Amino acid sequence: MISKKIVIVGHFGVGKTSLIRRFVEDVFSADYKVTIGVHILKKTVHVNDKEVNLILWDTEGTDDIEEIRKAYLLGTHGFIFVCDVTRPVTYQNIESQTQYLKDNFNKVPILSIGNKSDLLPKGSISEKKEELEFLDMLVSAKEGNNVQRLFEKIAKILS
Amino acid sequence: MTEDEKLALLKTILLTDDREYAESITHKINVLEEILRERHRLSEKVSPIIKEQLDDFTKNIPQNLGPAITESLKIQIENSKDEVVEALYPILGKMIKKYISQEIKVLSEQVNKTAKDTFSMQGIKRKMKSIFTGVSENEIIISDLGNAKVEQVFIIEKGSGILIGSFHLKETVDEDMISGMLTAIKGFVEDAFKQSNHDLQSIEYDLYEIHLHNFHKYYIATAVSGTFTETLENELENFNLEVSQEINKKNLLDSREALEELLLTRYSALKFSNQ
Ligand SMILES: Nc1nc2c(ncn2[C@@H]2O[C@H](COP(=O)(O)OP(=O)(O)OP(=O)(O)O)[C@@H](O)[C@H]2O)c(=O)[nH]1
Ligand SMILES: [Mg+2]
Repeated sequence: MISKKIVIVGHFGVGKTSLIRRFVEDVFSADYKVTIGVHILKKTVHVNDKEVNLILWDTEGTDDIEEIRKAYLLGTHGFIFVCDVTRPVTYQNIESQTQYLKDNFNKVPILSIGNKSDLLPKGSISEKKEELEFLDMLVSAKEGNNVQRLFEKIAKILS
Repeated sequence: MTEDEKLALLKTILLTDDREYAESITHKINVLEEILRERHRLSEKVSPIIKEQLDDFTKNIPQNLGPAITESLKIQIENSKDEVVEALYPILGKMIKKYISQEIKVLSEQVNKTAKDTFSMQGIKRKMKSIFTGVSENEIIISDLGNAKVEQVFIIEKGSGILIGSFHLKETVDEDMISGMLTAIKGFVEDAFKQSNHDLQSIEYDLYEIHLHNFHKYYIATAVSGTFTETLENELENFNLEVSQEINKKNLLDSREALEELLLTRYSALKFSNQ
């Protein structure tokens, strides 16, 4: 079985840890426990009749990826850049942030996703989607929407 | 300065250094003689280093200076073995010196520990045990030292922290996650000590000590339990070096099954010198 290192990055409190917990343990908690340093979890997914062992590096939130320790990012196979769809500040600089990753980690795929889609006002989702068209996917760690698909998607890209 | 004067100056520098050095270790010399007598241990220790140097030498010289020089060197070496020995001697001397000072450190560590133990609870217990069992106290000390054990070995890809292969005595917590965390800790520490160029060598964790040895594409993390002295640490390092040479020679990094088979045979048979 192949193993792939996935690093989840993004601002404070956008729900990186919650996403991983939803995916790995299928739980959600409304409590906010700040991640310090890095935390590692894993889960195996099946894509195209193959098993891929995803080793998920949950990093501490930062408004500037350049502040993350380089050592944590070495040898990464895929990045997930998470923002919070209810807080523009978490995606305003997404372009420069993902550019930094592209410059420093040549050819490593990056998925940009908006979390907390459950908080979008029901009537305005399609409008909001247009506004957030630079994102690859909208997910909700709370309700589980698209979470499984997100990790399967990155596994498929990498397998 | 003439050549002779330069030589004389060089001698003074070298000898003075040696005299001071000798003075500083006189009080340990008795113990040291014991170790020096174990010639073959010494050569075992030094020969991989020499080999490495020679390998480097043969690898780089042809590249940098061209085959012509290598050729003439070969002839030169063949014709004047004594001179070559002389030329190499200072380098070897330095290595041996380094080895000896390392050994002195080990010895004084042991001596201090034993001295301290004489007054510690453990020492008192041992004295009692010795009185009641009739076994000499030294033998008890030695048997106390003999319980070091390799519990778990991880071959981990540098950077990504992905587990390439492992050996373990008993099933434990998730090895993929441990590999990742070890790599994160290692990265964190090495980042923090970037200026002084320190590699993280070991982590004390719970009842274990985890020793980290770096190789080209991966590092080996060995979790050991029991009393693990510096001597055993050296033995472990040499052992891991051998294992890594075997891994490279047989090209096992891409075949987990074969790699883990090798780890199983090698590490389950590993005995430390004090056992
Ligand atoms: N409504 C809603 N709340 C969420 C969702 N995901 C996370 N949260 C909440 O957002 C807060 C922060 O979540 P975390 O998962 O800890 O965020 P994080 O990105 O790991 O934060 P740091 O580790 O500090 O960077 C918590 O209170 C979560 O309950 C979601 O999909 N919907
Ligand atoms: Mg977190």
